[in-house]
Amino acid sequence: MTATVGQDVVTALLAANLQLTRGGFTLDVQLTLAPGEVLALLGPNGSGKSTVLDLLAGLATPDTGTVTLDGEALTAPGRLVAPENRAIGLLGQEPLLFPHLSARANVAFALRFGEARLNAASARVQADRWLDRVGLAGLGNSLPGALSGGQQQRVALARALAAGPRVLLLDEPMAALDAETAPFIRQLIREQLAETGTSAIIVTHDIVDAVVLAHRVAVLHHGALIDEGTTAAVLAAPQNPFVAALAGVNLVVGTAQNGAVVAPDGRTFWVRPADTAALSPATPASATPGAEAPTPAAEAPTPVAAVFRPASVVVHTERPHHASPRNVWSARVRAIEPGTGGVRLRTSGDPEVIAELTPAAVADLGLQVGSTVWLSVKATDVSAYRR
Amino acid sequence: MIPRLLYLPASIGLALLVLPLAGLLLKVDWPALPALLLSPEALQPLGLSLATASVSTLLCLLLGVPLAVVIARSKPRAAGLLRALVTVPLVLPPLVGGIALLSLLGRGGVLGNTLELAGLRIPFTTAAVVIAQTFVALPFLVIAVEGALRTAGIRYERVAATLGAGRGTVFARITLPLVGPGLLAGTVLSFARALGEFGATALFAGNQVGVTRTMPLAIYTAFNGSGVTTDQAVALSLLLIAVAVIILVLVGTRRASVLS
Repeated sequence: MTATVGQDVVTALLAANLQLTRGGFTLDVQLTLAPGEVLALLGPNGSGKSTVLDLLAGLATPDTGTVTLDGEALTAPGRLVAPENRAIGLLGQEPLLFPHLSARANVAFALRFGEARLNAASARVQADRWLDRVGLAGLGNSLPGALSGGQQQRVALARALAAGPRVLLLDEPMAALDAETAPFIRQLIREQLAETGTSAIIVTHDIVDAVVLAHRVAVLHHGALIDEGTTAAVLAAPQNPFVAALAGVNLVVGTAQNGAVVAPDGRTFWVRPADTAALSPATPASATPGAEAPTPAAEAPTPVAAVFRPASVVVHTERPHHASPRNVWSARVRAIEPGTGGVRLRTSGDPEVIAELTPAAVADLGLQVGSTVWLSVKATDVSAYRR
Repeated sequence: MIPRLLYLPASIGLALLVLPLAGLLLKVDWPALPALLLSPEALQPLGLSLATASVSTLLCLLLGVPLAVVIARSKPRAAGLLRALVTVPLVLPPLVGGIALLSLLGRGGVLGNTLELAGLRIPFTTAAVVIAQTFVALPFLVIAVEGALRTAGIRYERVAATLGAGRGTVFARITLPLVGPGLLAGTVLSFARALGEFGATALFAGNQVGVTRTMPLAIYTAFNGSGVTTDQAVALSLLLIAVAVIILVLVGTRRASVLS
């Protein structure tokens, strides 16, 4: 154990070991973050996610423990570096733009007083570049009150990154946005984190955030980390009910080919028309609609993920002949378990796909563990995300 | 939507506030007014009042804003205690405040004796006027600013800190602008209270022409008619009302232009 910890300290950008007791709540967390890595901290409400971020940012003090950034102790016995000297940024649910400052002045604030320490004039120029980067060119003079929620969060992202944080903490940054705006902000965060090479920890209870933004997932429950690994690995083998509920979606992590998601085992998942653009960013989708097997792309494969609900998976005992669902494959039944909305059928493949159906349907179809079944999903029920 | 019954007490309340001022205007001897207002008996107290009230307001800002910050950021129990201590002079009759100031700083007072040994005598000087005014006006500023600080919360300050801004920068560029409206309201209230201060000044500073005779004391003196006419008291009152109205209008327009 000590060997791994020692190794982590050498390679990790950020290493934290935190203990805190408040009332009946106890937090005991060890986590590390590699340079350029994005870690998703998943957990239900009240699991202590935001507390962990506050402790890392220096906005709260642990009872015992340490926070080390780049070999420098930020939190240690008898030592607590102030938040303004940590270079750890925070982007929360609410944009919290300074209401008396324009969008430009908000970003310029971070450039003047953050790592860059620019003078007022250069900060204004650079602030406009940042606003351009987040798609808000020309809105520099607007006061926060005149911007929409999504625009405010864009400014907040630009401001957080402009401060030049060594680690950016994201506390459910999409939670306060409406369903139409959230995907754009999520995509923007992904792009900007990658472009700036910023290491980040994102706290969320939305699996899509983890899939799109994070390289690695840690699951926090009742103040302790109960699981850790790649998103796909953590969801494939849920360790507790919360993860199982999160895993209530089928997640196929694969590569994009001709507007479809190809799983590690070669299965092709066609996705709803609205999401095909996300799968072919450089050139418009040139997929030939009739083609059964997509042709291999010439360039490096784009990492993507397909997500669909178990209830959208239809189970057949014979190959379905009506051609309407485009995604059809055969698999073996690995397990039959009680689920939230009926019976869950876990079926073979990489990744395994879960189908949810009524107990009566299971009996009608005569399904048992080991049965061979045909599964189908309508492309319109499959959403896709770039990773 | 308002129960009709409320209009009666509302009208009486408004009348109670407005009619006396109307009555005052009716009593004004308009032809003689210019001469009365331009007389040294009017101009000297006005100058003294404006000067002392300005200094007092400045002192209120310098002392009151930090005090408000400390209260707003204290733990609940300490904040409650501090708030109560600040509110006492607010609910105290100013005359009692004057006696209290004399007991501390006057001859025989705890601090007064010490100061006297150092060759300093506070009571019945212009400094005493400023101290008395600050004593009664400070709570208004502290309460207004503290309320604004608590409403603003610490979320913006925390964000500013995570962006790398030090405490001084955050205070000057985030905290103060956020409480701007409260600060303005507190300043106006303090100035108005200092301008109208009578009881504590009368006891602690006296009524010496050119040194401690501010407008309220001049009005009182004129009204008591030691050789002066009531007309003068009315004229001085009118002047004080005019100053107050001018300040309110100036602040009001500035506020409107900030908001628009």
